[in-house]
Amino acid sequence: MSKFIPVIGLEIHVQLATKSKMFCSCPTDYIGVKPNSHVCPVCLGLPGSLPVINEKAIMLAIKTALAMRCRVNTHTIFHRKHYFYPDLPKAYQISQYDLPLAVDGHVEVSADDGSVQKIRIQRLHLEEDAGKLVHSAASGRLMGAEYSLVDYNRAGVPLMEIVTHPDITSPRQAREFVSRLRQLVRYLGVSDGDMEAGSLRVDANISIMEPGGKYGDKVEVKNMNSLRALERALEYEYQRQSELKSEGKAIVRETRHWDDGANVTISSRSKEEAEDYRYFPDPDLPPLVVDERIIVQLCKELPELPWEARDRFMSDYGLPLEEAEILTERRDVALFMDELIKHGAPVKLASNWIKTEILRVLNEKNISVEELPIQTAEIAKLLSLVDKGDLSTTAAKEAFSVMLEKAVTVEEAVNVLGLSAGRVTGHELEIVVNKVLSENSDVVADIKAGKDTKGKKLKFLQGIVMRETKGQADPKEVQSLIMSKI
Amino acid sequence: MKNNEFLKLSAIELISGYKKGSYTISDVIETALEHIEANERNLNALITPMYEEARSRAWMLDAALSRGEDMGPLFGVPVVVKDNITIDGIRTTCGSRMLENWIPPYSAHVVECLERAGAVIIGKANMDEFAMGSSTEFSAFGPTLNPWDLSRVPGGSSGGSAASVAAGYAPISLGSDTGGSIRQPAAFCGVYGLKPTYGLVSRFGLVAFASSLDQIGPFARNLSDLAVVLQVISEADTRDATCVRKERPNYLDFLNVESLKGFKVGYLSGYESMEIDEEIKRGVTQALRICQDAGAEIVEVKLPISTRYGLPCYYTIAPAEASSNLARFDGVQYGFSVEAEDLQDLYLKSRGAGFGPEVKRRILIGTFVLGSSRYDAYYLQAQKVRQLIIREFDAAFSRADVLLMPATPTLPFRRGEKMTDPVKAYMADLFTIPANLAGLPGLSMKISFSHSGLPIGVQLVGKKFGEGDILKTASVIEKVIGPAVTTLGGDRK
Repeated sequence: MSKFIPVIGLEIHVQLATKSKMFCSCPTDYIGVKPNSHVCPVCLGLPGSLPVINEKAIMLAIKTALAMRCRVNTHTIFHRKHYFYPDLPKAYQISQYDLPLAVDGHVEVSADDGSVQKIRIQRLHLEEDAGKLVHSAASGRLMGAEYSLVDYNRAGVPLMEIVTHPDITSPRQAREFVSRLRQLVRYLGVSDGDMEAGSLRVDANISIMEPGGKYGDKVEVKNMNSLRALERALEYEYQRQSELKSEGKAIVRETRHWDDGANVTISSRSKEEAEDYRYFPDPDLPPLVVDERIIVQLCKELPELPWEARDRFMSDYGLPLEEAEILTERRDVALFMDELIKHGAPVKLASNWIKTEILRVLNEKNISVEELPIQTAEIAKLLSLVDKGDLSTTAAKEAFSVMLEKAVTVEEAVNVLGLSAGRVTGHELEIVVNKVLSENSDVVADIKAGKDTKGKKLKFLQGIVMRETKGQADPKEVQSLIMSKI
Repeated sequence: MKNNEFLKLSAIELISGYKKGSYTISDVIETALEHIEANERNLNALITPMYEEARSRAWMLDAALSRGEDMGPLFGVPVVVKDNITIDGIRTTCGSRMLENWIPPYSAHVVECLERAGAVIIGKANMDEFAMGSSTEFSAFGPTLNPWDLSRVPGGSSGGSAASVAAGYAPISLGSDTGGSIRQPAAFCGVYGLKPTYGLVSRFGLVAFASSLDQIGPFARNLSDLAVVLQVISEADTRDATCVRKERPNYLDFLNVESLKGFKVGYLSGYESMEIDEEIKRGVTQALRICQDAGAEIVEVKLPISTRYGLPCYYTIAPAEASSNLARFDGVQYGFSVEAEDLQDLYLKSRGAGFGPEVKRRILIGTFVLGSSRYDAYYLQAQKVRQLIIREFDAAFSRADVLLMPATPTLPFRRGEKMTDPVKAYMADLFTIPANLAGLPGLSMKISFSHSGLPIGVQLVGKKFGEGDILKTASVIEKVIGPAVTTLGGDRK
């Protein structure tokens, strides 16, 4: 089976983070909103209403295009794509056809041998989303439903469609590509990129190539609502097509849906009869002319891209690839790392602190770094205390949680916890050590007898001392004291 | 003043009467509504008369007048609006079963403009279904008759708007013109009808027929009223992306001309050999002579491409856009809908029973020409022809300031005469279509009456945003032949 190579191309719809819809001023949020409350004559497609292009959406799309090194068309046209369906209020979708906003870009991903591979972007265009059907059946599907309702809150929400060339050669790579793209749109503030919520939707075209270079018929796979689902669906489809081919059976050109529960793709409709969408330029929208100066300006305003930040973290901070990836996954976190370093925090400590404490808090509370109630300088101060040995890691963590909870400074947190009374050291520490050793004479005996080959028993004693001193002792001092007394 | 004398007054005369306190707005509106009630059984110019709304608005405006509030340029003037232009809370049918009970939740830009100017909208005018037709016979609410001869059609598709002004329902009305739907009925009803330059008047709230050709425009019985309405409705509007932002001139200024010295009027040559009514040809000659007498230079202009290919070009592009614009009438969200087995059945039955024959014919043509395998041969080809027509007009306007030509090839035809042969009916738009394809302004006006007592119209076509040139030329003609008149009698010229 390994003689077949998967050939994968992706079509990705990204919901743009604009306040208003693509062609009217209705708000774009539709989740948890009363049905048909964010609508107007324009997005309902009422007779006599007319669309007006949302300039913000154009700007966001151009930013994305520039970040992917696309060529932006300064002269672009909106087309009407016709089909009848109740969620499409005008019976046509305003989209782009032969003159998309941008073409010919690329995004770099890693090849299976670890080298860098460019996935070419064929086009990037803008369109409007459709509404949502709500079926009465218990399954939530059309089948067996007594009636269906339409919610037009989503109708007209701006979507950016990105189409790749079929350059992707493995399900893993498809996953990496989408993850990079998601990271990019989040960096640019272009979209929240939430796959589960549907603000980033991926359709994949996959076929298999025989060693001779002959391409098979392609299958479109839909309904993959997470990166994991995408990778698994493509793995499944690759296996399925390879098996069919090996058995000399034909691969049907069709659309298949990924069933996440059953771990299979299911045929949904045959593509033999291609629909005729009767595309033609929307006469309600004059050709969109984008001023070159705007493109230049947007180019200047582009932030450091995630992969650029990653490379810089590796070269400037000397971090390994994996760590640099984690720290640059989110733009706010990457900027935070830079800030910590600027405030004098040591690299290794800052990196570790972000990976453990900061990311945990951000994920738990689902907030951004900006929303942390602590000044970056304070966190840098905290890390410096740890670095100097003035505060143990355990104590620092305690102080950090107080700082978070009460929005106080390092000093105040240390005071609150009574950590400021000074560290337990010297004679004071010796008293605690003596007490612990006498209370655990059996362990001491074991160590003396040479039964602590792995050092576990020593660690055990050290732990008790640390607990007794509420973490205010220097672990190294504790260890040498214990050693000297045994 | 006898009450029905109100009906013959122009908008400007009415306002000056209100100012002097000669009569109230309620007096005038009441007279108009009574006149409508008495005549509608014959004429059927309105689909929805707005008796109650008009009475209460008149009462409110009278109160405002007595408080000494500022009066807009159409203060207290009764206006009829074509039924494809939305008014918040008033049903907008487009002459179709499909929208028989559709009540829009918003007003068209032009309606907002009229209301701000103080106008009193008294009714929604009858029209060919979705503005497709040249006789107002394709209305789901019965045909409108020509007030000059009830056995004849008033033209279309804005037949109700044109007939309303001719019959004295109101001194002004609004129509829409996609291929001649203002100018042809204006000619048939003996009134002024102006199709502005594409992009001058916002289409927001105009139910689209063919978006790249549609334009709203006024009907009136004299040029001053026409200019005032044009001024009011041409206010720029950001809700229509095709509506230009440039500043509009003061249109009344163009009417104070005594001479056309240094002005070139283009005379369309080469059409005499076509089947054109002799009296219309004489009307054009008469208009040319008036211009010449006023000092204009008459130059010969040829428009062979427009004359020969305008019609097929239009009947490709307009149906294509219509098939797209009318796709939304699917029985789901609003409008005519029938009980059905499933979705497909719902679409077929709702559209099958909701649309009339002419609309279906054009949807079929439009769907055909936009098909991916036929797009290049039909739609794209028609767009190329359209570019040639635009260039042909550009060349013509390098020689002339305005063009003078017939508005229609025939006088108002008899009811039912062209119902069976669509191509024959389409010929009625021969002279009006090119201006839509090129996006140019066009005015049709009454020049005289035929021996049989029917109005004879001529057409003036101007450059892009050349409404001023048209008004200037027309005002010279109006000074000689007088304004248009109502059918109320006594003053037919």
